Amino acid sequence: MEKILRSEEMAEIILLPVRHHSPACAFHVGRAIESIRPCVILVEGPENASPLIPVMVHKDTEAPFAIYYSYHDRLGRISEEKERYKCYYPFLDYSPELAALREGERQGSRTAFIDLPYGDILAASGEGRGLLNREAEKNNYNDDHFLSRNEYLRQLCERTGLRCFDEFWEKYFELGGLAQTDQVWFSNLLTYCNLARENSREEMLEEEGCLARERYMAGRIREYARAACSGEAPVLVVTGGFHTTALKTLLTGEGGKEAAERNDRTAMVPREDQSVYLMPYSMEAADALNGYASGMPFTGFYQKIWEALREGDTNTPYGGVVLDMIVASGKETRRKEGGLSTCDEICACSMAEGLAGLRGKREPGAYELMDAVLSSFVKGEYSLATDTPMRILRRRMTGKKVGKLCEQADVPPIIHDFEAQCRTFRLKTGSTLESEATLSIFSNPRHRQTGIFFHRMAFLGTAFARKVKGPNLQLRKDRNLMREIWKYKWSAQVNAALIDVSVYGGTIEEAASGIVKERLVKEMGAREGAELLTHVFEMGLTDQLQPVYERVRELMLRDTDFYSLAEALRSLLMMEELGELYGSSMEFGSLVQTGCRKLISLLPSMTRIKDEDLTGCMNALKLLYQVSGREQDVQGIYFDALSRMIRDSQIHAGLNGCIHGILYGSGREKAAEVETVCRGYLTGTGGQLMGTAQFFRGLFYTARDLVFIGDAFLKMLDTFLGQVTPEEFMELLPELRMAFTWFTPRETDKIAGKAAALHGRKQADILEREEILPDWYAYGAEVDAYVKAEMN
Amino acid sequence: MEQVLIKPPVEVRYRGELEALKGTDTGRRPENWQMSPRAVRTFLLGSPKPIEYEGKEYAIEKKYFGNDALVERCIVTLAGNRGLMLVGEPGTAKTMLSELLSAAISGVSTNTIQGTAGTTEDMIKYSWNYAMLLAQGPSREALVPAPLYVGMEKGILTRFEEITRTPAEIQDSLISVLSDKVLNVPELGDDGFLFARAGFNVIGTANTRDKGVNEMSSALKRRFNFETVMPVREAAMEKRIILNEVNRLAEESHIQMQADEDVAEILASTYHELREGVSSYGHRIDKPAAVMSTAEAVSVYYQTMITGYYYGEDRIDMDCLVQNLVGAVAKENQDDLEKVKDYFNTVIKDKSDREGGLWRKYYEARKWLR
Repeated sequence: MEKILRSEEMAEIILLPVRHHSPACAFHVGRAIESIRPCVILVEGPENASPLIPVMVHKDTEAPFAIYYSYHDRLGRISEEKERYKCYYPFLDYSPELAALREGERQGSRTAFIDLPYGDILAASGEGRGLLNREAEKNNYNDDHFLSRNEYLRQLCERTGLRCFDEFWEKYFELGGLAQTDQVWFSNLLTYCNLARENSREEMLEEEGCLARERYMAGRIREYARAACSGEAPVLVVTGGFHTTALKTLLTGEGGKEAAERNDRTAMVPREDQSVYLMPYSMEAADALNGYASGMPFTGFYQKIWEALREGDTNTPYGGVVLDMIVASGKETRRKEGGLSTCDEICACSMAEGLAGLRGKREPGAYELMDAVLSSFVKGEYSLATDTPMRILRRRMTGKKVGKLCEQADVPPIIHDFEAQCRTFRLKTGSTLESEATLSIFSNPRHRQTGIFFHRMAFLGTAFARKVKGPNLQLRKDRNLMREIWKYKWSAQVNAALIDVSVYGGTIEEAASGIVKERLVKEMGAREGAELLTHVFEMGLTDQLQPVYERVRELMLRDTDFYSLAEALRSLLMMEELGELYGSSMEFGSLVQTGCRKLISLLPSMTRIKDEDLTGCMNALKLLYQVSGREQDVQGIYFDALSRMIRDSQIHAGLNGCIHGILYGSGREKAAEVETVCRGYLTGTGGQLMGTAQFFRGLFYTARDLVFIGDAFLKMLDTFLGQVTPEEFMELLPELRMAFTWFTPRETDKIAGKAAALHGRKQADILEREEILPDWYAYGAEVDAYVKAEMN
Repeated sequence: MEQVLIKPPVEVRYRGELEALKGTDTGRRPENWQMSPRAVRTFLLGSPKPIEYEGKEYAIEKKYFGNDALVERCIVTLAGNRGLMLVGEPGTAKTMLSELLSAAISGVSTNTIQGTAGTTEDMIKYSWNYAMLLAQGPSREALVPAPLYVGMEKGILTRFEEITRTPAEIQDSLISVLSDKVLNVPELGDDGFLFARAGFNVIGTANTRDKGVNEMSSALKRRFNFETVMPVREAAMEKRIILNEVNRLAEESHIQMQADEDVAEILASTYHELREGVSSYGHRIDKPAAVMSTAEAVSVYYQTMITGYYYGEDRIDMDCLVQNLVGAVAKENQDDLEKVKDYFNTVIKDKSDREGGLWRKYYEARKWLR
């Protein structure tokens, strides 16, 4: 720890370096505070979260929880897009920051956060850097990548023969650190952090907003120290070790003073656009291995270590926890797969112990535990089939605890809105079991409103309700259903998810609208646009319909993907159909026509499609046929496009068949003309001959009645089958089967009769087969054997 | 004149290093081990500083590349009461690892059962000197100990190579020995119990990919800790292995030629990419069915080197390299050669355009792919 001695104007300041999420660190922090007895404890963290501290340290609040910061850039201070931002600051029981706050509460010290408010950190970060990193799924306030990712560290791990920073940390700071005095431990950490800092570039720190934060923190520390200068007790500052030395320089050097004051004046992000809440968090989300969290992995494992430390086993807590984990994973593996003996567990324990000895660790840690289970529990080659024990262990090491907030915790307005709506719709939220609601959405307005509420909750990703039955507008399935059946259940995660979206608005409706608006500006195709429109439609967000509608029009004009446009058009037609039922007055006609014209304009380029696209393309042709019929001039250009398409001699055979079918059906072509085209394939060269089957498939899709007019088509089909070799026939069989799926059973029957007649037989002859009696078969086998014997 | 061996055993090749490690070892050693587990680790994974012993300096080089944690687990397993089973694809240095471990722990790597489809129980446990058996009746003198017997009697490691090639019933003769640590020789009556001395253990190697392997019984599996040896995942490390191994082979055969870094790199990247199915530029590659192991790459390089040494004025000829590559790849089916051809026509072509130099020569040598 670094001390800045008392001066006339300031109390003594003690800077305590920490690393986020570390049992050993939390343990030393607790002990240090007990011996220092500071009057004020200042913790790194956005300042606007200070009012939450009483809830954080309340006895009914259980970690893991997170501080949720959000900021709506209404004035465009961050970027012109005026976006919404959010980030998390997760706490586990063994987070040193939380340990400091709890210890402060116990001792009656004042506690406060001292970092720049979230919005100001964003303003101080370069585009795409630090908390403005837009690629991260979840931005984490306390990302310690400065400590864990740099070249110096990579070499350090290589020299010490450890596989990664986390193992390095565990060996020297966790396992080795528990036996050290607080003084030694903190000084080691500080040395390490200073080395890491030396290996980070100054410009990078500036870009990530790190330096601005340090200037601000120094200013705040100075203020608190001045206010506390009359008492004897020192001011304790708990920050990431990465900042400790920099803070000391800022607090002692003259230049630092100026910088701090300058920075203080530039706070420019309005406080009213920032909000901050506590939300329950889960171990899974906090485990660094899940990709976006900071600090150490294996949250469940270290939680157990922390519990052992709290129970007084401060010397060797690891051995017991490793043993527990081995036994628990062994038990679960045995239950799931069987075949794991106590002997395996004994071997795993001695492996863990042996490895710790070999690697010079005081006790086996997380890596020895994993190695032990890998070596003793996994039988045979390590692969997906044999790694169950490892998966079980990993899950246990992550833990599944979910935190809880005390009743005094403030919640954002969106949760009040949620509760109010649940009351309005008489939804049971107290039950731990899933409840079911059957809604007649088209006949009962109240049910429709409840449905809207459920749809909005589902859209917000809250895991509150799921639809088990009912029309699915996104997949355009089950549209004939008149009722929706929903299952719903309230849990703490629902509130956490609602807090997560609270940045978008104070009510469920506002939040849903906010997310729709955000999605609208993202890059997407017509298909996705139309899908979003179906959501808006279902959620009854009438205010949003118009902007989404306009956006879909824009997307349709821009999109050049034929299939995406066809899907979009289909969705629009569906909504047009259902508009009345859903009580929407939206007029889709002009949008449908826009899509239709756009699709027709793309048609001529679609002649040489791949086989797998045939179904999609045929569906689109049929759809266009139906829609274009609404307006005379659209119909005109549609048929123009079709006739241009069939002029391409390389057109896909199936598509050609389909178009000829449409032309025949609309009276633009005679049966004889279609016949000529078909004969062209039949008498063509090898590849073209094989295309006949596809041609039939397309033709029968749009004009299957052709088969029953005269017998020309059947005869052609018959000739075709006579021409192909058995091997070719096997190859064509799937296509032929597809071609005949369009017929009803009665029609197939009729075709079979006609086909039989071509070969001078009756329908009954081909349908019935003579039975082969077992005796005949035996006789045949006997003859076979006799002939074989004679020939030998 | 001293006979030149094609491949001296590990304990001979590294005699100096082993002596130095033994002499300077201060760690605790398990009963009958030649050195402490930590010194064994150093022997396999190398030490950053040379060791001074009897006035000489011994640089301990890294001998096993890839996974340090695996080596540590192997050492701890061998100190315990379970056998060690190394499984994995062919050519991943399982045998080398087992030799190094035996040489370091027991001082000998030659107490070995070589598993084949024809291995019988008496090749594992013991057989008899029949002349003596007839003359004296069953006695210890008439008994011819096989590697398992030797290991138990002397308290050293017994290596069982290619255990999955032996029939399952023969493999199972290990089961009771491994759990009870006693071998019963009924012919010797009351004196027929051989109790294993401390230091005895078994290292098995097993191949999981080859045709014609026998599955191990679960009873046998229970008596082993398994370690899966994966192919090297980094092309750079593969290059280093190729260089080390080729230079070692050359030295043993008294070929005064050094392996060329650039050629090793080309070969390492070829093998690596064909095995992984994706190139360093991101091309997607059809993987050949043949085993593309690092050991194969070493032998392709070494063959090319020998050719260069005897016929080609100490030069590595790309044409020759590609010819040897064909021999190594086209073992089982012709499709593999087609895949390698495609690989040359796309990936190597691209690399030759971008990098030029040796890559171009390599690409030009594609004419031998047939």
